Amino acid sequence: MEWLILGVLGFWLLVSVIGAILVKNPVHSILFFLSSVLAMAGLFLSLGAELLAGLQLIIYAVAIVVFYVLVITTIPWEKVKKFEGVYKRELIVGVPIVVFVFCLTGYMVLKGRLAQPAGVVEDNVREVGRNLFTSYLFPFEVASVILLVAMIGAILLGRKEE
Amino acid sequence: MSIEKAYILLSVLVFLIGFLGVVARKNLITILVSTEIMLNGVNLTLVTVDKYLGKVDGQIFAFFILTVAAAEVAVGLGLVVSIFRLKGYEGSSEIVHLRD
Repeated sequence: MEWLILGVLGFWLLVSVIGAILVKNPVHSILFFLSSVLAMAGLFLSLGAELLAGLQLIIYAVAIVVFYVLVITTIPWEKVKKFEGVYKRELIVGVPIVVFVFCLTGYMVLKGRLAQPAGVVEDNVREVGRNLFTSYLFPFEVASVILLVAMIGAILLGRKEE
Repeated sequence: MSIEKAYILLSVLVFLIGFLGVVARKNLITILVSTEIMLNGVNLTLVTVDKYLGKVDGQIFAFFILTVAAAEVAVGLGLVVSIFRLKGYEGSSEIVHLRD
């Protein structure tokens, strides 16, 4: 059953990811990316990370995708159409490199051994919350500063010059 | 082959496809989309190893990756819009000078 879920969701994920990098139109590329985010949330659910799956849906599928589409609508369409699609030469050079690196990494993954399991997580959300607010409290606060700085930077970059 | 290794292979493949997108796409916005795909691949690895080890630390790192992805999208799209406003185009082969 696990293998069936992995097969279906993994096939969906790979098809949408390959579509996202190969399709010509940028809007279609973003829609393929949205489909890959949904498949990824399903994979997270099947791995037992419910909180992360929900956050993936909220942050990626709502915030980030809508932001991309909004930015595309602010750019005139004729200028975008001049630069769509992929560079053929870079793609031809890149595919063998990617296949080689995948074979190398796959060999290492298949031959290597994972670490020893430490235990079983009973309640995922409770464990994540407890760890996040005890062991990882300082990085959590730093993340809020990162978001604030990114917001200020985006406002400064997007401002029109007087 | 255990199922964790299959998940890790899938996430490696997703990461490499995102890398191929960064190398080969023409439009700056789609290059940003490809970096998001790479971040998603890393998230999948973290959650898989987490499930295997029976810990939750990897999911917390995945939360931080989500935070950084949101910040990166805000700043990156601001940069794309300002490059477009300055030069009038956004092909990645045309933007090769730091300033001119």
